[in-house]
Amino acid sequence: MANEVFMPKLSSTMETGTLLQWFKEEGDSVETGEPLFEIMTDKINIEVEAYDDGVLLKKYYDIDDEIPVNQIIAYVGQQDEVVPDTSPGISGNEINEEKELNESAVEETSVRIEEQSKVEPSEDVRATPAARRVARSNNILLNEISGSGPKGRVHVKDVNQVLIQRNDSRATPLAKKVSKAHQVSLESINGSGVNGKVMKNDVAKSIDRVSRVDPSIQTSQKRKLSGMRKVIADRMQESVNTAPHVTLTSEIDMKKVQELRKNLMKVVESHTGNRLSYTDIIIKATGEALSRHPAMNASLNDDEIVLNNSINVGLAVSLDEGLIVPVIQDVPSKGLREINDHAKRLAKNARNQKLQEDQLKGATFTVSNLGMYAVDAFTPIINLPQTAILGTGRIQEKPVVVDQEIEVRPTMAVSLSFDHRAIDGAPAAAFLTELKQILENPYELLA
Amino acid sequence: MEKTFNLPSHITTDKLKDLYKQMWLIRYFDEKVDQFFAKGLIHGTTHLCVGQEASAAGAIAALQDIDKITSTHRGHGHCIAKGARTDKMMAELFGRVTGYCKGKGGSMHIADLEKGNLGANGIVGGGIPLAVGAALTSKMKNEGYVVLCFFGDGASNEGSFHESLNLASIWGLPVVFICENNQYGMSGAAKDMINIPDIADRAGSYGIKGEVVDGNDLVEIINTVYDAVEDARDGNGPALIEVKTYRWKGHSKSDAKKYRTREEEQEWRSKDGIKRFKELLIEERVLTEELAEELQQEAKQEIEDAVRFAENSKEPSIDTLLEDVYA
Amino acid sequence: MRELTYLEAVREAMSQEMRENNDVFLLGEDIGVYGGAFGVTRGMIEEFGPERIRNTPISESAITGGAVGAALTGMRPILELQFSDFITIAMDQLTNQAAKLRYMYGGKGSVPMVLRTPAGSGTGAAAQHSQSLEAWVAHIPGLKVVQPSTAYDAKGLLKAAIDDDNPVIFYEHKLLYKTKCEVPEEPYTIPIGKADIKRSGGDVTIVATAIMVHRALEAAEKLVKEGIEVEVIDPRTLVPLDEETIVESVKKTGRVVVVHEAVKRGGYGGEIASMIAESEAFDFLDSPIKRLGGLPVPIPYNPKLEKATVPQVDDIVEAVKETIRFK
Repeated sequence: MANEVFMPKLSSTMETGTLLQWFKEEGDSVETGEPLFEIMTDKINIEVEAYDDGVLLKKYYDIDDEIPVNQIIAYVGQQDEVVPDTSPGISGNEINEEKELNESAVEETSVRIEEQSKVEPSEDVRATPAARRVARSNNILLNEISGSGPKGRVHVKDVNQVLIQRNDSRATPLAKKVSKAHQVSLESINGSGVNGKVMKNDVAKSIDRVSRVDPSIQTSQKRKLSGMRKVIADRMQESVNTAPHVTLTSEIDMKKVQELRKNLMKVVESHTGNRLSYTDIIIKATGEALSRHPAMNASLNDDEIVLNNSINVGLAVSLDEGLIVPVIQDVPSKGLREINDHAKRLAKNARNQKLQEDQLKGATFTVSNLGMYAVDAFTPIINLPQTAILGTGRIQEKPVVVDQEIEVRPTMAVSLSFDHRAIDGAPAAAFLTELKQILENPYELLA
Repeated sequence: MEKTFNLPSHITTDKLKDLYKQMWLIRYFDEKVDQFFAKGLIHGTTHLCVGQEASAAGAIAALQDIDKITSTHRGHGHCIAKGARTDKMMAELFGRVTGYCKGKGGSMHIADLEKGNLGANGIVGGGIPLAVGAALTSKMKNEGYVVLCFFGDGASNEGSFHESLNLASIWGLPVVFICENNQYGMSGAAKDMINIPDIADRAGSYGIKGEVVDGNDLVEIINTVYDAVEDARDGNGPALIEVKTYRWKGHSKSDAKKYRTREEEQEWRSKDGIKRFKELLIEERVLTEELAEELQQEAKQEIEDAVRFAENSKEPSIDTLLEDVYA
Repeated sequence: MRELTYLEAVREAMSQEMRENNDVFLLGEDIGVYGGAFGVTRGMIEEFGPERIRNTPISESAITGGAVGAALTGMRPILELQFSDFITIAMDQLTNQAAKLRYMYGGKGSVPMVLRTPAGSGTGAAAQHSQSLEAWVAHIPGLKVVQPSTAYDAKGLLKAAIDDDNPVIFYEHKLLYKTKCEVPEEPYTIPIGKADIKRSGGDVTIVATAIMVHRALEAAEKLVKEGIEVEVIDPRTLVPLDEETIVESVKKTGRVVVVHEAVKRGGYGGEIASMIAESEAFDFLDSPIKRLGGLPVPIPYNPKLEKATVPQVDDIVEAVKETIRFK
């Protein structure tokens, strides 16, 4: 029997993957371990290898298709084996698969190439025309519905019931909450999750969809919101919609950081081959400040505030495709040299799309640096489920008053956004003050 | 001359020559149609009035231009006599867009409303009530026209005949019923289907005049119809005139004529109304042999031209299919 | 506003048209001093005289054909057939003449006539005086078919029918003659081919004609007590049929009951049901299209049997529930 090829679930949060390319065509022979296709998840691009030897019998999806995890996307088997014309759905549904295969074996001797609708109600289901129409437009298989009519005939009422249930059980609690708060019907929302599960983002999108479209704006090109961009969009939307953001700003005298950097530059470079950056120092200082203010190193999961033991600082790296946040684990235990080494490697891997899954996991706090631009301050958005994020602007020579004298000092504006559900203003302010003090007296980092 | 013929004043010498030519037009038209049917160039069915030319030409000659006729399935002669163009008629039989009915009516449905021809009719007896209705219009609107209603011996057994004669009679309508008794309703001989010698006698049942005329005597037909028409025009109600005639051809295209004998056909052919009228006109010096021949050839040529016109005409576009179902 | 009975509304429409247009006249059996079999024309002969209120002999073929002939030549006759059952005797003139002349003649001529006739059971008049044969005429291209259910509709539609240049068969329901509603005094037209939503509702569409409109409305009142909201559509004209209004309603409700008094087998409800099934409304159907019609028997004399022959209010209630029930 042919072996299923399915969309792997590469992380606990992964619900769908986007197909980037096929390395094999139908009819090509495949060896176990050979890359079969490449996908993009919410975090990374990855090549998926074949689990079985044989021939690629059938591909059900094309490039750019967004496919739920565990969905059967291809079959590998022996030449001339018969497989279904359309994806039988979720892998592991043995009975269904068996049935489909037997049925098609009777009907067909070879794989039909022609394109078919992904959801085709089976012919022998008794259903009213209206029920068929509603099922069709909602991608519901009629044979999954128990009809209330004579001899199990499916009526539109039955389909609607399934729709309501689906919206009920297939919407995240958060999505339900948001939809309720905004009085938005879940039925009208197309879920982006597995099997159309409605995510909070979907609700959020539907809420302000109306206000977004402005026909008077002329566009030069349109790009589908997909892949990483879509993930970012969803994440940001989710954060803004759920976490009440408060942003504190402060101005930090970077004179001593400048000195420290200058002094350590050669030492670090000789070890790592990289120039020590302000960011490295800021990460180190942040890790130090977090260790002194553990409340800022928290995650908010549903109704629980989790104080994290490890202090893992995510570093926002800007790529053409969007933003990616590799993680430097356990910052307080690392010296500037190590931090420099890790940070540069992660950034490089990110740019080459070579990040490993674990290099993207586990951040407890994020630093976003826009100091390379003419940006003084900004309001960063929290990377949920983290509860705070630090944004750093450029370092600028400014007149400041030091000991009753006006002096020109390199200063840097920092912004701390925190999730007010988990953190209140005072502890956040204390943390920011701590950070300011550390950066204005950075030598203690060497202690 | 007038004394000899004793014809109505509107029948001038020229009109007599026209009538002679007209009878040939009718004959040549139907003979041509017969040929084309045989060749398969005309489809459907058709009913020829060869041998009945004097009936059509004579009865209609009695009318004024404002008068109207209703015709039958055997109606080409009536149509020509009422002034229709033979080219447009032929085109209709060819099913061409230039035909009287844009190719949608065919042989049995040619109408020329402008000339007062309210149309042929494919239903035996179907046109009789229509003639009564048209006569009612004439009366109610005081239009002064008379309707000449043609039908055959077969139709005189239809209910519509009896109902219509009665209705026209009680309302005193200006309609003259012309029963062209050509001896056969399809294969049914009139003598077998009607148990009185003269259909004209049925008029008495409805309180109207009934007359019998020789269908090959053009002059008698004109005079008899003329008197009835003018009587009706004067408000004296309808009349029924039975024209005894004979169709030389079969009922329609596929008639083996098993119901009658060659001898009988030959006997009627010998009474040919065209020949008889020609002899009369020559005798009365209206025509010479040469002139008669010339008129006959003109008629023949006109039918040839009609055929050419029809052949060169376009078929109706399929787009016109749904047109004219409703006004 | 003043109220008129259906019968008075029909009479008023005719009288107003006759005052405006001398070409409009009435013919039929016993329509003179008798006032028509149901009294519709009562008083009209006194106003318009026997020339324009033409009492006819019992000759349905001749009077129908007479109306056709009069219409073809410039009149606008209104023909009253005493009982719609008698349309059988007029059928040749309607089907083969009135409906076809214009098309057969290639778009020449028109037949602006109205044939008014009372239809339906409920009077105890038994098999030959109680039928609803509207499907017969609805089948014929060239005829228009109107079936008003209220006095208001009857007046407006009859004016439209008289003004129409085509033969219009205008069905009046005997049991509706005495029904009343508000009817404006001034003449007005309801376009032929426009359905009327007699009641709005979202659960089930009932398409009902003539008397069944009222029974459907009664049924709707009963059903609303059970929480079922019925939409009642009265097509008002069968030909042309306002398909859009019906389709839109079915798209809204997903369920439809078609009800008429005529025998269900071969009845016009089959046409309406098929039209729905072929339309975009198909995809909105959530239960089979339900048809209600008369049983396939001649209308019996006994009142209990007669009532059982044609759909009653409770039958409609039951049919609606059946379309809603899943089992």
